[in-house]
Amino acid sequence: MAGAVAALDYDAELMLRVKDGDGASFGVLLEKHRSSVVHFLYRMVQNPAVAEELAQEVFLRVYRSRATYEPTAKFTTWLFRIATHLALNALRDNKYERLQDRLDDDSSDIPVRQVSDGRPSVEQRMVYAAKLDEVRRAIAALPEKQRAAVLMHKYEEMEYSQIAKVLNCSESAVKSLLFRAYEALRARLAHMA
Amino acid sequence: MRCPIENGEGEVLLDSVRSASLEDHIRGCAACGEFVAAQMATDGSLELWDAPPVSIDFDRRLYSRIAKEVPWWESLVRPFRPVFARRLVPITAAAGLLIAAGLWLDRPGSMPPPPASAEVQPLPPDQAEHALQDMETIQEFSRLIHADAAEPRL
Repeated sequence: MAGAVAALDYDAELMLRVKDGDGASFGVLLEKHRSSVVHFLYRMVQNPAVAEELAQEVFLRVYRSRATYEPTAKFTTWLFRIATHLALNALRDNKYERLQDRLDDDSSDIPVRQVSDGRPSVEQRMVYAAKLDEVRRAIAALPEKQRAAVLMHKYEEMEYSQIAKVLNCSESAVKSLLFRAYEALRARLAHMA
Repeated sequence: MRCPIENGEGEVLLDSVRSASLEDHIRGCAACGEFVAAQMATDGSLELWDAPPVSIDFDRRLYSRIAKEVPWWESLVRPFRPVFARRLVPITAAAGLLIAAGLWLDRPGSMPPPPASAEVQPLPPDQAEHALQDMETIQEFSRLIHADAAEPRL
């Protein structure tokens, strides 16, 4: 069993230690995956506070499930399945306000990229903010499943097979989702090129 | 090679790792070349979008929520859990051995049952007389031996 788990992935082994009562291993998993889960959820719901709230729920569910955990898949597949499920539910329930409602008047969470002299000019900041707004709106306009697929593919660099497991569909369905999603993004962001 | 776009297989152009034959085709096909260039531009635009950093109190809030879910008795037992875990096995083994030994000794048929009562059989008169004669013979024999031992040897 232990050998099979090691072959599967180290995260699954850590989770089995959590199952055995090792709280430190949970800390290691949290440290390792905190940012990717929060960032994925942020790009899904496009609200930093809501993303963190959902991410807390993700890790809470991981902790609650420790007693019944079985390493049947990669740990990150399981983790992102929980995250995606929560994000899709939150969006469908319209429980949280969407990007269009919130971000128009709140740009404080936009990280400003520094140009070579270290201080971006006002004009550069405005151009960057406008481009960023276009990207966020283009992503937000995608159907939820396409959005999840693009975010996992583009930002989390997941393979088709893993995305398929997270979204509980076939690999060919994922390729089709991504093709349609990127087609929409190309059309919408073409003027930025 | 067949053109992926013409064959409705444009998704193969999204792969970051492409076969040499596909790369050759892209170089010679205007439609595929345009598709790949547009996709690269889109990738570049998407890369503009950095996510904000995670709040510094994220872990504290999470552990606080976890602590609320842990029952009070588990919090009390937790510091002793490693000691229990280390000592529990030999203690359990010893207790198990004792119980097994007790059960084995206590099982029916392991010891012969004691007689219900002690019975004394009455001796027939001729046997009793014979026994008395034997005792007298032994006493006589004992006396002779003692007398013989008291005489000085030459």
